[in-house]
Amino acid sequence: MVTHPVLVIGAGVAGLTAAVELADSGVQTVLIERNSTVGGNALDLYKAFPTDDCFYCFEGNRWRPGIRKCFYRSALLDQPNLTLKINTTLKEVTGEPGKFKVVLSIGPRYVDPVKCIMCGICMEHSKAFSLISPQCQPQAVVYNPDKADEGVARAVEECPTKAIDIEAQPSEETINVSDIIVATGYHEMQPVNVDEYGYGRIPNVITQLELARMLDPNGITGGVLTRPSDGERVKSVLMIQCVGSRDEKYYPYCSKICCIFALKHANIIALERENVSVNIVYMDIRTYDRYERYYREAREAGVNFIRGRVQRVKPSENGGIEAIVYDSLLNRYLKFDTDLFVLSSALEAPKGSEEIIKALGLRESNGFVAPADLETEENVVVGDHVYACGTALGPAEVPESVTQARAVVSKILQSRM
Amino acid sequence: MAETKDKIDPPVTLVEPIDMSRLDSSFRKEIQSMPDGNELNACFACSTCTAACPIANQWTYKPHQLIRMILLGMREEVLSSKEIWECLTCFQCQERCPQNVRVTDILFDCKNLAAEEGKVPDSIKGLAKELIEKGQLYVITADWEREDLDLEPEVPGMSTDEFREILKATRTGKIVGGE
Ligand SMILES: Cc1cc2nc3c(=O)[nH]c(=O)nc-3n(C[C@H](O)[C@H](O)[C@H](O)COP(=O)(O)OP(=O)(O)OC[C@H]3O[C@@H](n4cnc5c(N)ncnc54)[C@H](O)[C@@H]3O)c2cc1C
Ligand code: SF4
Ligand code: SF4
Ligand code: SF4
Ligand code: SF4
Repeated sequence: MVTHPVLVIGAGVAGLTAAVELADSGVQTVLIERNSTVGGNALDLYKAFPTDDCFYCFEGNRWRPGIRKCFYRSALLDQPNLTLKINTTLKEVTGEPGKFKVVLSIGPRYVDPVKCIMCGICMEHSKAFSLISPQCQPQAVVYNPDKADEGVARAVEECPTKAIDIEAQPSEETINVSDIIVATGYHEMQPVNVDEYGYGRIPNVITQLELARMLDPNGITGGVLTRPSDGERVKSVLMIQCVGSRDEKYYPYCSKICCIFALKHANIIALERENVSVNIVYMDIRTYDRYERYYREAREAGVNFIRGRVQRVKPSENGGIEAIVYDSLLNRYLKFDTDLFVLSSALEAPKGSEEIIKALGLRESNGFVAPADLETEENVVVGDHVYACGTALGPAEVPESVTQARAVVSKILQSRM
Repeated sequence: MAETKDKIDPPVTLVEPIDMSRLDSSFRKEIQSMPDGNELNACFACSTCTAACPIANQWTYKPHQLIRMILLGMREEVLSSKEIWECLTCFQCQERCPQNVRVTDILFDCKNLAAEEGKVPDSIKGLAKELIEKGQLYVITADWEREDLDLEPEVPGMSTDEFREILKATRTGKIVGGE
């Protein structure tokens, strides 16, 4: 009978699902997350397709325990089989499948999340303390030593629960685990090298993830669309699809969900914000499965679709952006004066994937973890007693990530029967 | 030594692009509000309509392009295009459109709008004139079929006078300059 715990790397939607469901099934689980909060990329997404629910699963649904979306929160706090380690990464793996010995490096624990009551006193005294998100988990402020100022000492002194320890040091821990689940997720490519779009060079050129944060009513602009350059209200948005995807110079694959989130954003803007026009420049609109309705809705909402590519972009006289787009269906060039130029940038493997793939001896595909055996169609099996789920395997939406996480759980439970 | 700028601007197009801010973005709504235009927005530019069309290979603006031009607000170009008048009204485009866009009917709407604004090609004006003057487009003269059947050349009792009067009072009359 195997009694070692299972290690889950990455606490995004996929890792959380796998960890919580394993723990609920009676399996000891260690969940490590390199950031200070769990949730991964989903923290910043506002509304979610395919249900159009709000992503504020942790905070917004606090008064409704037991519903699907807040089960992570209660499990992270109350599930005795689950150990969450934030600011933690994998340092070394030895041993053999089924009996891995892993060394974890654990960042300094400046704020004890159990003690912190999020009263905010420390934040009043020093900029080094901040709250990452209202739905951060564990619910605690974080301390950034690089921003330390003279207010820190006072914060330490006045913290009502004595939660702060600025002397904290990083540590290491060695544990034995039976299985390892890679759920390290994705990263939105920063399209700085795609010169023709001027990202990082021309103001008001942003990515979809940046737009998502702007649309978020809890975000810095309170959900109002404004130009980053001068705070002017946005009247027109131009989106560009396939930036860095399906391009041999960057990533050859289709990032699979950028069409859908572009449509989701276009619909939010066209239907929920007043007098903002939306134009989308695309090569193909790829809305697989149930997502075709977003495309139809966008057209009905009056979103303009231009099949073609951008010829050039430059700052316009009124502080926005002038873009000339080649419309291949009309065989004409169109000139737009727009306030926001939004790039649907590729989803790529996150930093550190390479090390994990190497440490565990896994196969790799365009930087993502690849299935061990393509023939079996068991995508989530990536090695002997090693599994992967969610976007660690390549671009995917939340439902697919969750489904894969459950497949992993099922595999592990079967292997222990 | 000559100074080089850090970053040269991207090249300018030799052809002037269509300035989106000068187009009539209400044109889409105008067509959509007409009896057959409600599905207009659903067009996803698949070009099935053009593939179906027996005459589009002769046209500068293909059916799917006309629909796109309506969506973009190119009112002027669409209403003064020759294509809307050359449409054979065979309805093949409309039958085959996967998004139920009533392409042929929309082209009818465009013709009506163009006519309201006096943008009618001379050939069409000629037909209208014919109707107003003769009350019919095909006048039966020296019809051999009638002759073979031993019938007199003229259709007895056939009168187009009333038609002429009616047509004069309709938009056909307007096209030829009447009130
Ligand atoms: C703009 C945009 C909009 C989107 N909208 C939707 C939507 O509406 N609906 C939908 O279903 N999907 C949407 N998605 C996709 C969604 O974000 C993903 O499907 C989902 O977040 C994937 O979860 P994950 O757990 O696989 O990965 P992630 O969320 O990336 O989580 C991975 C976690 O692993 C951690 N990690 C990474 N490497 C390491 C390491 N080496 N050690 C320890 N921890 C590590 C990361 O810090 C992170 O917390 C959208 C994506 C984008 C870009
Ligand atoms: S003062 Fe202490 S308890 Fe209050 S938010 Fe800061 S760390 Fe948490
Ligand atoms: S999902 Fe759409 S935007 Fe993204 S790479 Fe594929 S085709 Fe391009
Ligand atoms: S067939 Fe219909 S959807 Fe396709 S281009 Fe023509 S009008 Fe648009
Ligand atoms: S109705 Fe007109 S546009 Fe449509 S297929 Fe026939 S000729 Fe072409």
